[in-house]
Amino acid sequence: MRLATVDYLIIALYFAFVLGIGWLIRKRVATSEDFLTSGRSVPLWITSLAFIAANMGAQEMIGMCASGAKYGIMTAHFYWIGAIPAMIFVGVFMMPFYYGSRARSVPEYLRLRFDEKTRTFNAVTFAAMTVFSSGISMYALGLLFQLVLGWSFTASVLLSAGIVLAYTYLGGLTSAMYNEVLQFFLIVLGFTPLAILAVHRAGGWEGLASRLPAVMTHSWSYMYSPSANPMGVEVFGLVMGLGFVLSFGYWCTDFLVVQRALAANSMTAARNTPLVAAFPKMLIPFIVIVPGIAAMALMQMGVGYSLPPKGSGYNYDLTLTTLMASFYPSGLLGVGLTALMASFMSGMAGNITALNTVWTYDIYQGHIRKGAPDRHYLLVGRLTTIVGTGLSIGAAYLAQLYNNIMDLLQLVFGFVNAPLFATFLLGMFWSRATGHGAFSGLLAGTGAAALTHGLTLAEGKGAWLACLHEFPSTMAQNFWIAIVAWTTCFLTTIVVSLLSRPRPASELVNLVYGITRLPPPEPYARWYQRPGVLAVIVGAACLLLNIWFG
Amino acid sequence: MWDLRLPSGLFFTLLGLILCLTGLLAPGQRAPLTEANVNLYAGAGMLLFGGVMLWLGLKRS
Repeated sequence: MRLATVDYLIIALYFAFVLGIGWLIRKRVATSEDFLTSGRSVPLWITSLAFIAANMGAQEMIGMCASGAKYGIMTAHFYWIGAIPAMIFVGVFMMPFYYGSRARSVPEYLRLRFDEKTRTFNAVTFAAMTVFSSGISMYALGLLFQLVLGWSFTASVLLSAGIVLAYTYLGGLTSAMYNEVLQFFLIVLGFTPLAILAVHRAGGWEGLASRLPAVMTHSWSYMYSPSANPMGVEVFGLVMGLGFVLSFGYWCTDFLVVQRALAANSMTAARNTPLVAAFPKMLIPFIVIVPGIAAMALMQMGVGYSLPPKGSGYNYDLTLTTLMASFYPSGLLGVGLTALMASFMSGMAGNITALNTVWTYDIYQGHIRKGAPDRHYLLVGRLTTIVGTGLSIGAAYLAQLYNNIMDLLQLVFGFVNAPLFATFLLGMFWSRATGHGAFSGLLAGTGAAALTHGLTLAEGKGAWLACLHEFPSTMAQNFWIAIVAWTTCFLTTIVVSLLSRPRPASELVNLVYGITRLPPPEPYARWYQRPGVLAVIVGAACLLLNIWFG
Repeated sequence: MWDLRLPSGLFFTLLGLILCLTGLLAPGQRAPLTEANVNLYAGAGMLLFGGVMLWLGLKRS
């Protein structure tokens, strides 16, 4: 793929705007809270678009398009089952406690609700995860640009990371969020023409469906048995593993997304953030997954489109870029590649700003230096931006050198994340849950996840202890690891909590359901601005999509 | 605090102009699998989006 002058002009224009936004916002940062939490002043439409943009990393765009080509519309389960229900839950039920407790971060909520050790466990694992996630994402981007455009790996990595560093350093969370909104618009407008052109060329949805096996265009009809669909999963594993444990674990407890809602300017806006975000989120499959499905139909048509082979199949990771090369001329090609860079930058800025807050407030202020003047924490926040970016770049090079180590790290982080939702569920809805219960539950859940991986095999992975069961796919294995980890954490937390001394109810106000009076919507809120009403509309729309593409 | 709709609107207006101009000045430029003047149509879409954002932002300010 060769870029023309106009493509470079578009990339330069985008860089100028994201840096300009950071430059304009820098004057607004006077305290550590301005820098790390946006001083709870951001309007709803910005928090909600930033909420989904922070999650839309380059790997997600490339990966979801690849999965669309590999598995078909079933990939949309990662949105319609794996995101929307959890986004409704966090907005309606959990946000009143996150926002109402005035916690500055998710680990800080754990300290208020449970104790210091539970907070530290979450803060340290989260900080490590953010560095490695942005490193892995940076590695993926560098590799892709090297392969597709022939750019040097180092130049791609340093340029994109340098720009994220500059605007995040200047304006902190507000700058990252404002840019995430611009990036979100660019991703949508940059990828939509591709979806339209690819589906149109494949003969519309009907033409596309007629050229592919029926399993590619139905999301539920082939879920009755793992052997009936290419994902190798069945309804229970999907709904419990992805739809409940993994999805709720991510959307309800991951500080990267929750942080955007906490920046909102009112309780109603904070609660509505994930609910409003759910509308565009449920439509994203149409611009990333559907083009992947169309790519497979185009290959059947013999119109000159093909994916490069890899092993006995295809290199699905190149679906998005090969489609761009086939449908985008110079000009729009620049927009498409800029959108890909934007998705990487929004994901990376999400990781860096979340890391800043957790490091500064939960680790540095919590353990290294308490009671310092605010300007000291502002400086620490700014320095963390530099150090965090540097560590992410280091992680990207580590990924380049030792591919298997990164696989292993992602696996370990999966073990850590899976049980977390059980801790929050019990913490927010059961006042009897204790700090000892939560901490031992998290450890037991993480251990159970590792043990399940060690005792089961899928596609040659796992079973490093013994092989008691073989899963048809690693996806099914991941879903079941999550189910086991969650259940173990849930039961252990209950048992240990019942054996340990509970905290008095008076200390749990604003932290636990039942003890806290839920806030009524602000008097100015119209009927459609009420979280309950929005939740019903979002839920109904998502249900319709599931039925339509069932 | 300034309205984010202004810089977003300006960005997409400029992007739309660049694409429209490319589509008009080099109408023969085509991607391998489409006969449409993709730059012109996509540019018009972005110009419209940028214009609406600018209008909304300016109306408020």
